[in-house]
Amino acid sequence: MTVKAQDTSKLDARLRQYIYRHFVRKGAAPKVAEMATALSASRPRIKESLSRLAQGHAIVLQENGELWRAAPFSAVATAFPVQVGKRRWWANCIWDALGIPAMLHEDGQIDASCACCNLEMIVKIKGQKVATKEGIIHFAVPARHWYDNIVFT
Amino acid sequence: MLLFRSEQHVDRWCAQWGQPRGGTLTLDQGWQLAQEWYGDRLNLDWRPKTSEEAKAAFARIGLEGEFWKLAA
Repeated sequence: MTVKAQDTSKLDARLRQYIYRHFVRKGAAPKVAEMATALSASRPRIKESLSRLAQGHAIVLQENGELWRAAPFSAVATAFPVQVGKRRWWANCIWDALGIPAMLHEDGQIDASCACCNLEMIVKIKGQKVATKEGIIHFAVPARHWYDNIVFT
Repeated sequence: MLLFRSEQHVDRWCAQWGQPRGGTLTLDQGWQLAQEWYGDRLNLDWRPKTSEEAKAAFARIGLEGEFWKLAA
């Protein structure tokens, strides 16, 4: 690996870690400007790094270049709010909603609803196990096509 | 990936939106999948799973067959 490739690889790893730490601590996505300041890198370098992370399916970007998703977190409001202790986040889907307490290795609660009839369905994780009996998860898209359109998936 | 009250509600949703029936998981399987997929996500050296690693993770949860086969 060349020195330049090592540098970009290190920047990508640092940026990814910064994004996740920001989400965990503040419950929201960092802006590109915040990333540049925090990592002492220019905005163009940050945007290049974000593009590489997006190409590797580590994150998804909005059309304006800001962060949209760093799975399991969503930077925008969704139908999957997740609470762990006093902290709250938005998840991208039910898999990701379960992924937040799984990633943090903490218990939590998902205030979801049935995708068919919209009836409230609160899913609780207690003692690192599912404490809710009712509920079934449906994947509409076969696994090999998940990244054809990750938003629909 | 959406959450439903029951298999009947999955069928109703598929009919309403003209979608073929896909794959379903229990909440317990979904939680296991979430642990497999996201348990190490905060590690500095995290990298996306290879197809083989993902296949092995799916198999541990009982997700096998054509629907759960990932692109190489």
